[in-house]
Amino acid sequence: MTAAYSMNRANLNPFLSAIAGDFELIAPVRTDIVRFEAVSDPAKICLDEQPFFPLKEFFFRKHEVILKFDGKRFTAPLKKAPKRVFFGVRRCDLNGVLHQDMVFSSGVADPYYAAQREDSLLIGFHCNEAPSEHCFCGSLDLKDFHDLMFFDRGEAYLVQVGSGKGAAFLKKFKKFFTASDYAVTDEDRFIEGVDKLKVKDISGVYDNPGWKPMVDACLSCGACTTLCPTCYCFELREVPSLQDESSERVREWSSCQLKEFTKVSGGFVYRESREDRFKHRIFHQLDYFKEKNGVNLCVGCGRCITGCPTRIDFVTGINEMKA
Amino acid sequence: METKSKPRARTAKKAIALTVSNPFMPTECKVTKFERQTTDTYTLKLSAKLVHEPGQFVQVTLPRVGECPISISSYSGEELELNIKQVGNMTNALAELRKGDTVYIRGPYGKGYPVKELKGNNLIMIGGGCGIAPLKGIIEYVERHRADYGKIQLFFGCRTPEDLLFKEHHNRWKDKFDLSLSVDQNPANTCFEGNVGFVTAMLEKASLEKDGSVAFMCGPPKMMAAAAQVLHAKGFHDDQIFVSAERLMYCAIGKCCHCMIREKFTCIDGPVFRYDEIGGIQE
Repeated sequence: MTAAYSMNRANLNPFLSAIAGDFELIAPVRTDIVRFEAVSDPAKICLDEQPFFPLKEFFFRKHEVILKFDGKRFTAPLKKAPKRVFFGVRRCDLNGVLHQDMVFSSGVADPYYAAQREDSLLIGFHCNEAPSEHCFCGSLDLKDFHDLMFFDRGEAYLVQVGSGKGAAFLKKFKKFFTASDYAVTDEDRFIEGVDKLKVKDISGVYDNPGWKPMVDACLSCGACTTLCPTCYCFELREVPSLQDESSERVREWSSCQLKEFTKVSGGFVYRESREDRFKHRIFHQLDYFKEKNGVNLCVGCGRCITGCPTRIDFVTGINEMKA
Repeated sequence: METKSKPRARTAKKAIALTVSNPFMPTECKVTKFERQTTDTYTLKLSAKLVHEPGQFVQVTLPRVGECPISISSYSGEELELNIKQVGNMTNALAELRKGDTVYIRGPYGKGYPVKELKGNNLIMIGGGCGIAPLKGIIEYVERHRADYGKIQLFFGCRTPEDLLFKEHHNRWKDKFDLSLSVDQNPANTCFEGNVGFVTAMLEKASLEKDGSVAFMCGPPKMMAAAAQVLHAKGFHDDQIFVSAERLMYCAIGKCCHCMIREKFTCIDGPVFRYDEIGGIQE
C-alpha cells in the first residue's frame, strides 16, 4: 500500500478526539514517565520522547491466567480485548509488534496473544530525529509495518497507508485528510545517526574477549528483557487456591537473564554462568532469531541500554571488539 | 428470586470462540496402571492412546501442582506409558496416583528418534538411568518391525542393580537383541550378573559396525558426551549419532524459550537431535 494523504496540523487533535469517541485510544502520555496509556483528551499526548515501555504489555500480557481449574475441569478464561487504536508508535515499536506477531502467530498460534492483538489498529509516528541517545534502529532491517504512519512535516502531517485495515479506518475519518499523490521514499524513512551497530553479523564474535567488561557489569536483573519490545520468555505457574479445590495456571513474563531460567529437575542449570546468559540474550536478538525467521528479533530501540542499571552499551561494546 | 434482568455492563468483555484449539488446554485421562519400577522410579499407564514417535514427550498436568514434560516409553497408538523418576514436586505428586485417578495431558510434542527414516541400519541404543525410558519406545517399535533393521545392540546402565528399569522385559530383549547391562556399583548382596562400571566401558569393549549403523542415546549429559567420544574413536560420524537433550519445557510449542539450545528449541526442534545439530552435548 503506497497511498498517501496529508493532514493539516490543526486537524490532529480533532481526529484523535474522534477516534477516542469510537475506540479505546492508546497513546504516549507523560505521567511519572512517558508511557502508553488509554487517553480521552488528545492534549495529554506526548510525542516528544520515546515511551519508556514498548507496546508489548498490551498484547503479550505480563501476568495472565490462561487456565482455570474448578476442582473438576479446566476452562480457558479467554477474553477478547476491546477495539483499540494505538497512536504515536515509533518504527522500532511497530517492528517489535511485527516480531511478536511472528513468535505468537507462527507455528502453533497463541490464542491469548491473538485475543489481545486482533482488534488493534496501529498508527505510527515517524521519528524526525532519534528520540533517545541509545537508538540504533538504523542498524536493523526494519520494515514498514503499520496501519497508518504519520510523518511530521511542520504545517502538515504526511500520512502513509500501510494496510487494508488502515485504508478502511482512514475512510471512516476521511474528513480530516486530504488525498495526495506523494509516495513515501527511503529519504522520508531515514533517521539521522541511528546506524550505530557496525557489526551486522555477530555470529563470529561469540568467543571474543570483548564481552568480558559487559558481562562483569551485568547484574542479571532482567531489566533489559522487561523493557524489550520483542523479548518473549515466559513462565507457566500453577497457583492453587487456599480456599477450595480450584487452581489457576498463570503465564508471566520471565527472563533468560535469571539463573533459574534454565534450571531442570534435579537442580542442574544449563546457563549457569552470567556470561552464557548475557550472550544468550544478545545472540537470540541479533543472530539466533534471524536463522529461523530471516530477520533479527532486535528492533534497535535501545531501551535495554537506557533501562540497564549499569548502562551496559552492548552496541558500542560489539563495535569495539577486535577480531 | 430475580425479578428484573440486570442490564449488562457495557464494559463486559465477550468470550471469544476459538478458531484454533487452545494449545495450553490439557485433556483428561485416567490412570490404568501404577507400577513401581525401583525405589525412586515408577511406570504410569494412561487411558490416552496417542499417535506418536519414539522419543516424543507429553506435558502432564496435575491440577494444583503443575505441569511437566515426560517422555513416552510405549508404542504409538497403544495405552500411553510414562516412566518417571522422582526428582521434584511434580514427579513426587504423580507417584501418588493409582489406577482410576485422573491426570491431564497435552501432546505429543517434539521430534523423536528418526527410527522409520533409518530403516535398514544397524541400531545401537545407549541409555543411562531413566534415559532408558524413551529408548524403550524405540524397542517397542523395532520389535514390531524387526525385519526392517540389521543388528540391534542395547547398552543400558544404571547406578546399582536396584535401579535397573524394565527388568520384566530384559529376558525378552536378550532373546531378540544383543543386550548389555552395566551398573556403576554392585553391592555384594545382589545377584546381578552384568558388567560393573560405566556404560561407556561396555561400549568400548563391544564390537560395533560403524558402517550402516546409527546410535540412539538418552541419559545423563556426561554419559552421552562420553559415549559419543567412544563412538567417535570407533569411527562413527556425528550424523550417525542421535541424542535426546534434557531441558525443562514449559510451553512445549516453541514460545517460552526455557528449552533453547542456542537457536534450537528442544521442544519443537528436539528433544532428539542429530549430534552435529546441537554441536555436541553440554555437560
